[in-house]
Amino acid sequence: MNDTVTLAHGAGGVQTAQLIERVFQKHFANPNLTADDAAVLAAPNGKMAMTTDGFIVSPAFFPGGNIGKLSICGTVNDLACMGAKPKYLSCAFVIEEGFSLTQLEKIAASMAETAREAGVAIVSGDTKVAGKGQVDGIFITTTGVGEIPVGVETSGTKAVPGDVVLVTGDIGRHGCTILLTREDFGIDAKIESDCAPLWGTVEAMLGVTKNIHVIRDATRGGVGTVLYELAEQSGVGICLNASTIPVMPEVKGVCGMLGLEPLYLACEGRMVVIAPRQEAEKLLTVLRQDPNAKDATIIGEVIAEEPGRVIVNTELGTQSLLPRPTGELLPRIC
Amino acid sequence: MTEAREIITNYKGPHVRIMEVCGTHTHEIFRLGIRKLLSAQVELISGPGCPVCVTPVDYIDKAIMLAMDDHVTICTFGDLIRVPGSMSSLAGSRADGGKIQTVYSPVDAVTYAVKHPDEQVCFLSVGFETTTPASCLAVEQAKSLGLTNFSILTANKTMPMAYEALKDSVDIYLYPGHVNAITGTAYCEALAQQGISGVVAGFTATELVTALAAALEKFPLGEPFFVNAYPRVVTPQGSRKAQALMQRLMEPCDSRWRGLGCIPGSGMRLRDTYQEFDAEKKYHLPEISGRENPACRCGDVLQGKCKSTDCPLFGKACTPQHPIGACMVSGEGACSAYYQYGMD
Repeated sequence: MNDTVTLAHGAGGVQTAQLIERVFQKHFANPNLTADDAAVLAAPNGKMAMTTDGFIVSPAFFPGGNIGKLSICGTVNDLACMGAKPKYLSCAFVIEEGFSLTQLEKIAASMAETAREAGVAIVSGDTKVAGKGQVDGIFITTTGVGEIPVGVETSGTKAVPGDVVLVTGDIGRHGCTILLTREDFGIDAKIESDCAPLWGTVEAMLGVTKNIHVIRDATRGGVGTVLYELAEQSGVGICLNASTIPVMPEVKGVCGMLGLEPLYLACEGRMVVIAPRQEAEKLLTVLRQDPNAKDATIIGEVIAEEPGRVIVNTELGTQSLLPRPTGELLPRIC
Repeated sequence: MTEAREIITNYKGPHVRIMEVCGTHTHEIFRLGIRKLLSAQVELISGPGCPVCVTPVDYIDKAIMLAMDDHVTICTFGDLIRVPGSMSSLAGSRADGGKIQTVYSPVDAVTYAVKHPDEQVCFLSVGFETTTPASCLAVEQAKSLGLTNFSILTANKTMPMAYEALKDSVDIYLYPGHVNAITGTAYCEALAQQGISGVVAGFTATELVTALAAALEKFPLGEPFFVNAYPRVVTPQGSRKAQALMQRLMEPCDSRWRGLGCIPGSGMRLRDTYQEFDAEKKYHLPEISGRENPACRCGDVLQGKCKSTDCPLFGKACTPQHPIGACMVSGEGACSAYYQYGMD
């Protein structure tokens, strides 16, 4: 096989078959992935969740992951936010002519590994090759379906005053990693993306209580953006304690130098969880046993006042409004 | 710290106007909710220390001319891209096919020029004593590399003359610690001799509260004063290296400030020995006069003559998404801070 992807690989002939067999079939193989036009699957028992997401991150490889791992995590985590156990995924690739086959195989291998970790099967796929310059390297779209256990009902509309707001770990790492990888600031900080599939984390939480009001993954726009969305959807205020928001010292340092707010930097392996106060201790205990959530902590609470707004208790004991996120902080982070 | 807090909260002296000159101070003061701690006798005014906010309209117009008429690749700090010029902004030019690159430092623009020898590259050099040395470094680097496709469009400014120009609007300046780290404090002491009081402040909660407390302790005594409340970073002599670099490459010039007009001797431009890197000369840019939106009160805001919320456009026609005045564009601008932190 040649070293790079050519237009012939997307033309549907011998080369396409070779590409599928030697890259995708090799890594994704499972009983539900067949050569037929569509996967034929058993229907889930109760309700199911379905979601789709496109990934165009630049650069495609970054410390802590690559676009392949991200494309699985993103969709798996969106399903997990609804309390759904991820079952099946489809993936569609748009690859730029001339893209390295070695890199493509690395991407496929990470997708397979992440899918295994998340317990999800890739059952359907598509490959298109676009001419040089028509896409930047590789774009991946994944669609997933998951099964929602009986009694689980999370939604962005369900936050009520008195609930606690948790994050499942330190924030802002993915956005910071991409920024440092992309721009040559001459900053030597050891920061890796937090990119991780979180069904296991959600499953562990649901194992101790189904009484969870909201789960949301804090991807584009970060935790701050998610909290504003939730405050609006639920018609409540959210009050944060600045001193309890976990941020890695290196991320804090980079944000200080570049004038960025970690609350607006993307995470790819962190969730915001809103639950009744009486469930908090149980949730924290189980989260802290999970390697993907060992730094889980309470960062604030839901309040009846200031609906639609996010308020911060500052280190001086005063209250200030968290500025509403605007504009694009960083394009193409996922 | 507790003592400093008590001082600023319980201050009962005469009414006092303190101008925080630096955009970063403005934002930190809002973010930390410091206004809520202050005695009602203390009025905080957000001054002209955000480089984007004081960059005049005609500068943006010139950058647009370079991008559109001369097909020069513009490298700029992101904040400038959305600042309205007379007719359009650099964002508008980009949509019309102009090549506008965001960079995080002037040296990145040199790197860009090296990587793109077929393009003419111009860095938009705005800022105060904190960023000017980096522009000088970029020019020095371009010269040593023998680059012929790199230049800078200068609108660099220095603070001392602005302090004099604004002295009737304020009682005490909260001097920006980062600027003083470069310049030292000699001119602040000289200003105190002329009756203009000030305190150098750092940027953390403790540093800001301590600086305000120092100011409020001295003010009722009635004598002009200067206090360096940021000695951890600011020394009397400042950074001699950065000063020498600026001296070598640049010289003072008159400079127009948005909202304040021309302040003699308040600008910095490249010396003739570096004229091949001066975009004004390289592209024979004409003298133009920009046109600001007449309803915009950014000028009055910058002089402390009104609060952002007094402007008829504030929060209505002018928002961070659709800024009309420069103080709304930059994240460090006073209007942007008032808007984002929900002061109404």
